[in-house]
Amino acid sequence: MEIKKTAIAGTLESSDIQLMISQADSGIAIDLQSDVKKVFGDQIEAVITTTLNEMGVTSAKVKAVDKGALDCVIKARTIAAVQRAAETTATPAWEVL
Amino acid sequence: MNLNDPAVFKEWQEFLESLGVTNFQANERQQIDTTLGMYNERGNLVATGSVAGNVLKYIGVCNKFSTQGSHFNSIVSALMNLLAQRGVFHLFVFTKVKYTTSFQHVGFHELARTDLGVILETGDTGVTDYVHRVAQAAAKQNLATASKVGAIVMNANPFTRGHRYLVERAARENDLVYVFVVNDDVSLFTTTERLALVKAGTADLTNVVVVSGDQYMVSYVTFPAYFLPTQDDAIRYQTTLDARLFRDQIASALHITTRYLGSEPFSRTTGIYNQVLQTELPPTVTVKVIDRQTSGDNVITATQVRRALADNALATVRNWVPTTTYQFMQQNLTTLQARIQEGMNINGN
Repeated sequence: MEIKKTAIAGTLESSDIQLMISQADSGIAIDLQSDVKKVFGDQIEAVITTTLNEMGVTSAKVKAVDKGALDCVIKARTIAAVQRAAETTATPAWEVL
Repeated sequence: MNLNDPAVFKEWQEFLESLGVTNFQANERQQIDTTLGMYNERGNLVATGSVAGNVLKYIGVCNKFSTQGSHFNSIVSALMNLLAQRGVFHLFVFTKVKYTTSFQHVGFHELARTDLGVILETGDTGVTDYVHRVAQAAAKQNLATASKVGAIVMNANPFTRGHRYLVERAARENDLVYVFVVNDDVSLFTTTERLALVKAGTADLTNVVVVSGDQYMVSYVTFPAYFLPTQDDAIRYQTTLDARLFRDQIASALHITTRYLGSEPFSRTTGIYNQVLQTELPPTVTVKVIDRQTSGDNVITATQVRRALADNALATVRNWVPTTTYQFMQQNLTTLQARIQEGMNINGN
């Protein structure tokens, strides 16, 4: 899936994560800000990367501000942001869920 | 929140004043596009924030009855989502030093700081991307390995022989010269026109790279006083931030060692700016102030060129501008004069 424009999903409220996805030349680059980065940083980035891969996104720039989100929330926000960024909100990627 | 409603405005102002916000001058307030407010179950305002273009302003939060930071995160998040709907993803905030960590906690990156305040940015692009683009522009002209690098920031409204003189001097003294053209579209000549005229007027100088200053140099974001009438202390504060941003984010990354300025006999704002640059940039970046070029008894200024346009006396400034600028003005005379007639200010910067 191709990222066509910048899109945002999620909030900065507790237990949520705010994800901003934009175009990149190649590869996936994640800039993660989280108070629990030391402990869960790798896990959060893994969830985002796996979700992007499942959706067929090969190049994207991701800015994530985590406020203690659970994996299921991170996955949901990633899917929402990608669908907005790829302009495919009318055709949800059910198989990824 | 509708700030045009006197009751709402009073509540908003009193709330912010209770948090130590004091500047409610009309020129600050008029820039606001939208204001959001958060109320508790008793109907009291507990948090507010505003946006002006891509700048967050007037953010105030009362933490009396809530977890530290939760209202702040909600209001910033609401403002970001509001801007996202408008297609704005790259945003800035000016704030007091004590709030910088709160913004960094929600993903903002600090660009510059003074005792009075800091400027931060967040979003899908940032100063690192900008610097990378500028360096690529130099690489395209095979100047990636240049060792002595100079820089000039100009509005060039329009590009005159005075500007040209400054660029030539810098080009002689350096292996590579970046000319940053002010990006905001509030001048008689549009940004596209100004950029094109600077490029055309310096095309023969092979070690000169002309790029847009984007939002990082003398922009509405970093230095609104350049465009709006402002008091001296505010100008000093803004120019200090602009100078430090240049020194710490731009010059260091692009290995710029000298910045060239034209001496400023007329404009008060630019005069203060030049003073501040000379205090802030050294020793990291050497500042060279070059005396303005004269034509006969007159100092060449873009202001005079714009006046000549308004007076329909283009021929009087023929020797003040490069042929490329002159031809452009001749070809677009009616368009430019129409803009002046529509009220475009030609006496400012």
